[in-house]
Amino acid sequence: MATAPRSDTPTSIPALTPERPVIWPPRVHKTLSNGLEIVLVESHTIPKFTGELFFRSGNAVTAATAPGIADMTATVARTGTTRRTSREIEEDLRRMGSDLSSGAGADNSVISFAGLVDFSNDLLRLVSELAQQASFPTDEFERERRQLIEGLRIERTTPGFLASERMRRVLFGSHPYGTISPTEEQVTNYRVEQLKEFYQRNYRPGNALLVMVGDFAPEAMLAQIEKIFGSWVNGPVDTAPDPALPQLAARKVYLVHLPGSVQTQIVVGNHAITRKHPDWLKLTLANSIYGGAFNSRLVMNIREEKGYTYSPRSGAHPLRQHGFFSIGAAVRNEVVAATLTEIFYEIDRMRTEPVGEEELDDARSYLTGVFSLGLATQDGLAGQLATATLERLPGDYLETYRERVLKLTSTDVLDASRKYFDSAHAQIVIVGDRTQIESQAAQFGVPEVYDAQGKRI
Amino acid sequence: MTQLNIPIENTTLPNGLRVVISPDRTAPVATVGVYYNIGFRIEPRGRSGFAHLFEHMMFQGSANAGKMVHIKLINSSGGVLNGSTHYDVTNYYESVPSNALERVLWLEADRMRALKVDDENLRNQRDVVKEEVRVNVLNQPYGGFPWLDLPPIAYRNWSNAHNFYGDFDDLDAANLDDVQKFFKTYYAPSNAVLLILGDVDADEGIRLAERHFSSIPSGPQPNPADIDEPPQLEERRGIVEEKFGTLPGVAIGYQSPRRLTPEWHAAAMLDQALHGGRAGRVYRKLVLEQQIAVDAEGGIHYPVGDLFDYNGPTLMVTRIMHKPEYSVDDTIAAYDQIIDEMKEKGITAEELEPIKVKFRSNYFSMLEGGHGAYIPRYGLMHLLACFSLFDNEPSLVNTILGGFMEVTPEAVQEVARKLLTRQSRSIAIRQPAKKGAA
Repeated sequence: MATAPRSDTPTSIPALTPERPVIWPPRVHKTLSNGLEIVLVESHTIPKFTGELFFRSGNAVTAATAPGIADMTATVARTGTTRRTSREIEEDLRRMGSDLSSGAGADNSVISFAGLVDFSNDLLRLVSELAQQASFPTDEFERERRQLIEGLRIERTTPGFLASERMRRVLFGSHPYGTISPTEEQVTNYRVEQLKEFYQRNYRPGNALLVMVGDFAPEAMLAQIEKIFGSWVNGPVDTAPDPALPQLAARKVYLVHLPGSVQTQIVVGNHAITRKHPDWLKLTLANSIYGGAFNSRLVMNIREEKGYTYSPRSGAHPLRQHGFFSIGAAVRNEVVAATLTEIFYEIDRMRTEPVGEEELDDARSYLTGVFSLGLATQDGLAGQLATATLERLPGDYLETYRERVLKLTSTDVLDASRKYFDSAHAQIVIVGDRTQIESQAAQFGVPEVYDAQGKRI
Repeated sequence: MTQLNIPIENTTLPNGLRVVISPDRTAPVATVGVYYNIGFRIEPRGRSGFAHLFEHMMFQGSANAGKMVHIKLINSSGGVLNGSTHYDVTNYYESVPSNALERVLWLEADRMRALKVDDENLRNQRDVVKEEVRVNVLNQPYGGFPWLDLPPIAYRNWSNAHNFYGDFDDLDAANLDDVQKFFKTYYAPSNAVLLILGDVDADEGIRLAERHFSSIPSGPQPNPADIDEPPQLEERRGIVEEKFGTLPGVAIGYQSPRRLTPEWHAAAMLDQALHGGRAGRVYRKLVLEQQIAVDAEGGIHYPVGDLFDYNGPTLMVTRIMHKPEYSVDDTIAAYDQIIDEMKEKGITAEELEPIKVKFRSNYFSMLEGGHGAYIPRYGLMHLLACFSLFDNEPSLVNTILGGFMEVTPEAVQEVARKLLTRQSRSIAIRQPAKKGAA
């Protein structure tokens, strides 16, 4: 039953129709008298809400003495309060149709939660309890400690982890950002008092940001929040140290030896900038042309033309005090040198040739488009609001993002590439079986070799 | 609230292509999916991994859009795209600002009409796929555990039992004839459903679908594949060496019920009672209380699928990472106590009611996202596609919750007794090659 071809079936690419504007839902942004900052936005896509309670203190605070304490504090905080046992917390969450997780990165600690709107009051009460009345039971702490140690042992066999760990150490040295994970020995030395201390000194309303997006009326939700969090007592908080970064004198190669690897994880990195830096959007756009999107130059070159790798990607990574730029690809062992050659070829092209109008236009549309996609779900919207508010970006940062991207020029891209795609000082980390890749690595400099435990060999 | 009112318009074009539109004009973005009723389960013998390799080939060029055009056009329209191969379906999807909707439909229609690829493209993507397998399986601790470990242990029919990611010899053997034959056999419009979700008017969506897809010639329906399994009469076990990781792993899988049966509804509640996060019995007992394991999770069609996206034999799986000081047998014995207790004492209404609340809540989240923040409504698309292709009833998305909410404690116990038997289960053991550093 073949149908005859219809005459209006187009054989050429349909044009874009006029764009519909992004409608910004009204936003409530308020700070309570105890210092708790609150951002609320309604989104009625599903009868749920999602929220994040941030503290602007993370692992960087204790990096010099006990790396990872902030993460351990957040982990154990959800295992008991002065009112509820671990089991009661988990069963209460299920009864409310809710999910909750907690953890910490370098700069922030966070309790993330989502649930049915019918139970928002109960869930917020639980979140408030975890933030103010965590009891840090010793047995839960010991259980989590053992789980963390087993997790660390597995991480030390994971190429992606080993590559990130070495790169961060190379770029940031003894700065808190130079350590992404504690050692087993450091975890063995954790004491529950350290967790309680971190909690006392950092889980304070003046250090906190509560972002919530969902199927609620913001004003009513605000009243509910004030009732639950209004009596929370503020106090002094820790600040993270910010020592000087290592100077990267020249291009250098680091090899992490993982015997038996059938593939090599490559990461190339540089110092870069934070999201507050005036060049941030320029760098974002340059990155998206270089290797940040599927149709970027690097992906087209080493994946779609050469087939060296499955998922090469570059990215600009902003932390609170500093940022870095990195390029990653997992490649077959035979093409490590060839891949590095292409990575630098594409970098040098970005640094020397202005981007043409069409490619520039495509990349600007890509950034503005994916920005809109990221606003269309409760989670996506909450994430964007959290980023903008946590880093204290200008109040209209999100609303003006698209127009600021559309104003960027070919010169902006060239400037950012020259500043931040610093091929002369690029640091190269490769993780794989030394016997198969060392001679290839040597084409880019004498490699400094480490084992998977981080020891120089 | 178990009866939803998600707007759905659906029709079938004369060439057999099913079309489902679900409008929501809140945000100016649209998600488009094309699902083909072919997954890795029924790829040809001697061509393991082919369905997935073929999925890559669908990005390599079609009649009017050559290699890289698909990717470039979607990205430069402000959108993102991908595809994925599952047991019983393969999908291709894009999320874009809605002003690019027609462009997306044009691209999807072009590659449904005619694939235009050459040897160079095939060689290229074969290399890419091998690196994908290395990065996800061969060079990764616990890679493929248990989704690639369990099928060869649990099943006797090659379709269900083979290496879905592909043996490298089979990938090497694949040629362009295989590609065109597979396309002709499984990628006809009548073996597919087109979904448009988000910022589109229902009538306009149907009109656009007709405009771009109705001239694609229809093809014969593929013969139904034999995916039946002989009855399992004894427990099956297998050991796979773990090359990198330091912890032993155990995965236990029980044969799951057919979709949309009363047993399936009850099994979903049983699954949540066992595997529903940290409150679930398995995690609570093995990780939190007895502390034999450092992690334990699972589900029906876990971990590469869910309750809704299978259409043939599958397993309810529990994946346990246990401490090295406990033996595999100790671990299984502790797990068996949980299973036996469920079969003997069942579940109270007090335990079941919160499970239903959580199930409903999870379902809503799945509808909205389910695949990262950048593919709005991926989960709704996936459900609509499976209900269309497997059950010919996309509107089930609005009513399916009802069956789960009616499950009684007795039904949960009954299904536990029926499914969770020693002789109908398979166990995959991941044994570390080296001992953990002390």
